[in-house]
Amino acid sequence: MSFESDLLAILPRLRRFAASLSRDRADADDLCQAALEKALRARDQWQPGTRLDSWMYRIMRNLWIDEGRSRQRAARTFAPEEAGEHVGHAGDRDVEAHVMLSDVDRAMQSLPDEQREAIALVLVEGLSYREAAEVLDIPMGTLTSRLVRGRGALIELLGEAA
Amino acid sequence: MTDMDEAMLIAFVDGELDEVNRRRVERAVAEDPALAARLDMHVRLRERLAGHYAPIEAEPVPAAMRTLLQEDAKVVPFARPVQARRRVWAMGGAIAASLLLGLGVGHFSGGSDGPISIERGTMVAQGELASALETQLASAQEEAPIRIGLSFRRKGGGWCRSFEGQALSGVACREGQGWQVQQLVPGAGREGAYRQASSGDARLMATVDALMDGSPLDAAQEKAAKDRRWQ
Repeated sequence: MSFESDLLAILPRLRRFAASLSRDRADADDLCQAALEKALRARDQWQPGTRLDSWMYRIMRNLWIDEGRSRQRAARTFAPEEAGEHVGHAGDRDVEAHVMLSDVDRAMQSLPDEQREAIALVLVEGLSYREAAEVLDIPMGTLTSRLVRGRGALIELLGEAA
Repeated sequence: MTDMDEAMLIAFVDGELDEVNRRRVERAVAEDPALAARLDMHVRLRERLAGHYAPIEAEPVPAAMRTLLQEDAKVVPFARPVQARRRVWAMGGAIAASLLLGLGVGHFSGGSDGPISIERGTMVAQGELASALETQLASAQEEAPIRIGLSFRRKGGGWCRSFEGQALSGVACREGQGWQVQQLVPGAGREGAYRQASSGDARLMATVDALMDGSPLDAAQEKAAKDRRWQ
């Protein structure tokens, strides 16, 4: 059982996590690919016997946060504010991706990052509160309050149909 | 008792409460229709989110990622998921090997036709989940969308069964003619997906351990209980 085949086995779940964080599926797969590359470079830092999925969730989440920050910086530096959200995306792909977005995707995207990642880990990936708090490196109480606020916002956005 | 803390209600839906606190929430919800409506919203939200992203896990992995990981990995494991699952289930005690067949797979439909409805403040199985709990035997469910894990007698009487679907898994107990869902956690995912000893399973096993009187039913006992319609 190699490191690579272990990664391959959890890859479907990693792609799902990436999709729940990202604004569209193309971004999600970019994120996933970057996380795999990072994991392969940093493989010596993974301790066998610990959970590979939690380690990968953490890598992916940190990449996603970093990328979000650099995108915001780029938007502030190079573009007027209202155009900022389009920076860094090819026009055609953008339009196509937005057409395909469902209510759930849009509602998830509207959440602040800190709520979206908590919701993604617990409601989509099925981590326990303790595991999710460890991945995010926050206290349990912080996690639960983000879950409460994130859910409240999602229910409001998705309406009765939620 | 309308002052039920939202965090407590949510922890209930997330399967994070112990038996004592679960009962507290159930009592509060039974006495308060507004609270029951809130519980209903949270259950539906969870079903909808889990159901929305579940298909992604079933998709083929993009070639670029597969290539990246296959440079050194020539062997893709097939045997391991069953072994991993066996360790988890084995925590529950002596379990017939026939109950260990396969991993959870299948689709729960979302929305109001979902697997769970809220009736009088409790989560009740409906649709294909209800029929799986009612009629499915763990020894004969190779292609079933919902899989039954353990069937067991509940402390104080009655029957309970654990179940797994792609989007949602849980434990349900017989109440009257229906099945009351005791705990709900996200599902087992796609068949063949390698899952490490998962938190979902550990939480469900803790619930099973808390509820179970004695050992899980073997195949013959399970069939006998089914034939008596779990009464």
